[in-house]
Amino acid sequence: MKVKVVTNILKANTRIAEENRRVLHERGITTINLMSSPGAGKTTLLARTIRDLGAKIRFGVIEGDIQGTHDAEVIAALDVPVIQINTAGGCHLDANMVQSVLPELPLEAIDLLVIENVGNLVCPAEFDLGEDAKAMLLSITEGDDKPLKYPRMFRECEALLVNKVDLAPHLDVNLEKIRADALGLNPALQVFEVSARSGQGLEAWYAWLQGKLQS
Amino acid sequence: MHELSIALSVLDIVRTAAAESGLASVTVVRLRVGRASGVHPDSLRFAFDCSKADTPAEGATLEIEEVPVGGHCDACDRDFTNPEPYVLACPLCGATSFRVTTGDELHVLDLEGEP
Repeated sequence: MKVKVVTNILKANTRIAEENRRVLHERGITTINLMSSPGAGKTTLLARTIRDLGAKIRFGVIEGDIQGTHDAEVIAALDVPVIQINTAGGCHLDANMVQSVLPELPLEAIDLLVIENVGNLVCPAEFDLGEDAKAMLLSITEGDDKPLKYPRMFRECEALLVNKVDLAPHLDVNLEKIRADALGLNPALQVFEVSARSGQGLEAWYAWLQGKLQS
Repeated sequence: MHELSIALSVLDIVRTAAAESGLASVTVVRLRVGRASGVHPDSLRFAFDCSKADTPAEGATLEIEEVPVGGHCDACDRDFTNPEPYVLACPLCGATSFRVTTGDELHVLDLEGEP
């Protein structure tokens, strides 16, 4: 006996992601899923963004890490509500993990929720968390070959922050190649060359972020 | 990558579909997997075989239909199939104004089994 099924295998995740999106939209919250490889500067960028925009925007943060609370402590020191998810070895966050921590956040007091995903250029790209937009960092110390080696991440994101550009004089990296290859994969990608450490180029990122806020 | 969690999701779908259609044992599970889905068929088969014990799919084999990456080029107005998982330019004319239409699939298609 043969039985037709035709079910999307990621359906369970997608359904929970849609619920997350609905809950967050009801509260007027915009959500960004921030991804990169380990050490690209997600937490540094996020802390700087909160310091620079915190007077205008009420932030909330979900930190995803394999283990530890380092990143949540950095964010908590900025007086922003933050929840740490430890995946205990898992390579990505999924919609169910996000759903389980939403009740712990003061959603009525948040305009912009940033979900800092597990550092990984592969798996996080495939799981919808209920975000409004995916944004990624690529630090120039990782090399200009990354867009063509990890194409799915570059294709899924709306914004690419090319970080640590203040180090460019010390490296052989080709910034134009990063931009051209990333745009080749995803012509609609917004590319920002920044240094989260020095603040260089962050104004354009802030304008993009503010443009995403729900009115 | 994360084929084990994909295999567990497949087994959940099989369990539900088998119960709904009165199959006590499932002999074949057929999937459609796109070449740009990020799922490696051999790893998925391995993960499926490791996880199927004590489920209705305990004796099932996994058949995977792989879907190549394909699309339509707006510049030359032709459909194409791409040899690589990611399309950087139309393989027929080299233009970058194309749409990828297949290759991201990740579906359970059907089951075979005994009541």
